[in-house]
Amino acid sequence: MRLPVLIIGGGLSGLAAAVRISRFGQRVLLVEQHTRPGGLNSWFIRNKTLFETGLHAITNFAEPGNKHAPLNRLLRQLKIKRSEIEFCPQLGSKILFENCETLRFSNDFNLFETEISEKFPGSIDNFRSLLTFLQQFDAFAPAPFRSARAFLDKIIAEPLLTEMLLCPLMYYGSSNENDMDLGQFAIMFHAIFLEGMFRPRGSIKEFIDLLLRHIQENGGEIRTGCRVQNITQQKNCAVAVMENGEEIECNYILSTIGSQETESLLQRDRGIKDDTPRLSFVENIFQLPYEALPAGAQETTIIFFNHGEKFHYQRPQSSIDPRSGVICFPSGFKGIARRELVEIRTTHLAATEKWEQLAMVPEAYQQEKKRCSELSCSTAESLIGDFAHAVTFRDMFTPLTIKRYTGKIDGAIYGHPNKIKDGNIGLSNIFLAGTDQGFLGIVGSMLSGVSIVNQHILPRL
Amino acid sequence: MTGEDIKDLILEIIEDIDDEADLASLDPAEPLREQLDLDSMDFLDIVMELRKRHQLQIPEEDYPNLATLNSCVIYLEPLLKDK
Repeated sequence: MRLPVLIIGGGLSGLAAAVRISRFGQRVLLVEQHTRPGGLNSWFIRNKTLFETGLHAITNFAEPGNKHAPLNRLLRQLKIKRSEIEFCPQLGSKILFENCETLRFSNDFNLFETEISEKFPGSIDNFRSLLTFLQQFDAFAPAPFRSARAFLDKIIAEPLLTEMLLCPLMYYGSSNENDMDLGQFAIMFHAIFLEGMFRPRGSIKEFIDLLLRHIQENGGEIRTGCRVQNITQQKNCAVAVMENGEEIECNYILSTIGSQETESLLQRDRGIKDDTPRLSFVENIFQLPYEALPAGAQETTIIFFNHGEKFHYQRPQSSIDPRSGVICFPSGFKGIARRELVEIRTTHLAATEKWEQLAMVPEAYQQEKKRCSELSCSTAESLIGDFAHAVTFRDMFTPLTIKRYTGKIDGAIYGHPNKIKDGNIGLSNIFLAGTDQGFLGIVGSMLSGVSIVNQHILPRL
Repeated sequence: MTGEDIKDLILEIIEDIDDEADLASLDPAEPLREQLDLDSMDFLDIVMELRKRHQLQIPEEDYPNLATLNSCVIYLEPLLKDK
């Protein structure tokens, strides 16, 4: 029997798409190559402790009444009640440019605006013009790439403020080196500064389980450890051939695995030259007793940092670039369950090809991991205070770790620099959602799955 | 289904989409989307719910017929007359 919809990829965009389709009683099958769903936002167990892989904070926080807020729209579309998730808003975050300036921000936008007016009095009017612009700007209207940096350079007098605004927005959602699309900038500005950050009280596992439960209750099906070998478009259907030889015939395929990754399943060479660099990252986890968190860290959620005035968001020359990064305290949310052991997580830009070279000699790879973990730890200590002595467990993901578990080319979490915003890859029954459609972050990726399903699949089923 | 039944059906679906919707002050001659502050994503839910509950296949080009409560009745009455 032919299946109405097959979803490839069990990350958050695929899971959201499956909830959306199944809620109207349509049959849907989701296949995930890894043995565990979640994609970039998954989990693993070490030392009897559950560690999350991707989640720092979820952007796009919204209070219940605000109907048009992306978070509330998403929950409505998925028919998930707010009461099914316990929302823990951030305590407070900052952008810290070492030896230059610090800007604090929280889910109350007034704090950020006040910080800017006090620390950049010469640019506060510029900043307000930016806000006015962002209020009327339609970030979702289809448009070619416009440089956010060039735009900011024109309206903000002090270059340091431009760098400080770009730092968190790029770290949380730019797939382009040293720049981002103006539309993406606007989306991320809303998501991080105007709406704010939160996380669910429970772990990402519980969040994924909630989505799985909805899919199952709606009658949808999920298969993990199930890899697609190739897909072909036939006259009135699409066919996916699984690694075990099984053929799945369906009306529509939604691929959430990346544009290039989808092209290779289609085995078509569209002659697109692909040498634009993809950005990849390393992530460190340092586990330590709550009491051992440095002073101030117990009240902090996230620190986006950079050394010096100029922020370099690009593939580094060496395996990692410790000059900038993100320090996250997953215990830094209001109402989060208090645990004896907590984490400090650090993220830096990385060079996938360096890690690939290192991996040819396993000892060299392990040695470099250890060196980078120590380098990242001492970098974080120089910013927040000492904690290395109290670390009970540490782990590090390189771009290769991400590549191995998620199948993302170069382990690049934000995918290809060029996005396909309408999900249209030139086929009448195979569409793209997820990372390479372009909505990033957890709420963003889930909305990506939902909106591509709404646009191309649901009305035609 | 009578015209009244169809109105009730649509209101029930809307309430299911958005339980905070103010249905009491709804003007049946005015567009639903503006009055209820629904976006196009929510609007699609009405179409999909009609499909799920009554196996109605509404083609995309007919969506404008569902703009107001009154136009819903006019459009849906012949389709739902035996249900």
